[in-house]
Amino acid sequence: MTLLQSLKNIVRSKSIHVAYVDVGSCNGCDIEVLACLAPRYDIEQYGIYVHNNPREADVLLVIGAYTPGWEEKLQSLWQKIPDPKVAIAIGNCPISGCLFNRPHTLVDPPVSKHIPIAAQVPGCPPRPTEILSAILSVAPTVFKDFEVRK
Amino acid sequence: MALSLLYYAQEFLRGEWAKKFLAAKTAPLVTPPHFRNYPELTGKTCTHQLICMMACPAPGAIDVVMTPEGWKPRIHIGHCIRCGLCVEACPNGVLTSGRILESMFYDNTKLSFSFRIDVDTEKCMGCGNCAVACPVNKLIDAQMSHGGRASTDDLLLKVSEGKCHVLHVEKCTGCKTCENHCPNEAIRVARLLEAIHSPEEEL
Repeated sequence: MTLLQSLKNIVRSKSIHVAYVDVGSCNGCDIEVLACLAPRYDIEQYGIYVHNNPREADVLLVIGAYTPGWEEKLQSLWQKIPDPKVAIAIGNCPISGCLFNRPHTLVDPPVSKHIPIAAQVPGCPPRPTEILSAILSVAPTVFKDFEVRK
Repeated sequence: MALSLLYYAQEFLRGEWAKKFLAAKTAPLVTPPHFRNYPELTGKTCTHQLICMMACPAPGAIDVVMTPEGWKPRIHIGHCIRCGLCVEACPNGVLTSGRILESMFYDNTKLSFSFRIDVDTEKCMGCGNCAVACPVNKLIDAQMSHGGRASTDDLLLKVSEGKCHVLHVEKCTGCKTCENHCPNEAIRVARLLEAIHSPEEEL
């Protein structure tokens, strides 16, 4: 591994840019993601920055049970994220539909049918520490030596 | 001058200090002991009453399966919402999560179930599928005819005059077999979950 590559790895591990998208949740998981930004959990000390702009993002947090309004939008949003990219499902909704997955409802879980999901954080809602540890554990495996592996 | 420079060098040229300065992080937060995590088995014997499944508000979160050691409740992570109702509802204390069992003991609380069956008379065609499928009816009158008509009035559900009638709602166990067998979505079973404080005094 070259010196440049190891420098890139160090820099990448200290700046993970996150965008989150709510594809039809009850807003509970959004609040838990928001709690990560607050001083108690403070994700910026781990080098995670929330921009909520897919063009700048490395990690996409998908929240919600996938309502029909997102049918073409989520795909195009996922394509807007530059490589290397990773999507993490936050909460039960993108995994199983949780309480909304009942007969005669319009939700279409799991989200992994629509975009590739690398990690799942179950819970209704998950604790902010669980979200944080999921991002921190997935990011190195995806971003380390990205150019060399390609 | 030289002394103060030396002092500063002593203070800031330590490797430990530099490392702390460059990677300032608070200690990871620990999960508090009162946190209701996914229910875990206590090791007590499950008697297959399925009350946990009835209390569970999340679809597909809990089921009770037969294992070589006997019946065991199984929690599906990704469906479970960690509400702890199965822990509270279980009469045998098979599951545990956080401090739910302790607080139930100190507060002297208990969950009780009752069920309500609503028949939409406009939608009901009187086909009798619900009355025939009902496992409670089957125990009372095993010879019930296919139209749901029977001579006895001890039944839970019975068809008379072309409509389904609920006779003894207190016999309902909340299995929702009637709801699943209704071709017209006319019958609905509602579960009424009630927390009772100090159940001995009530009796």
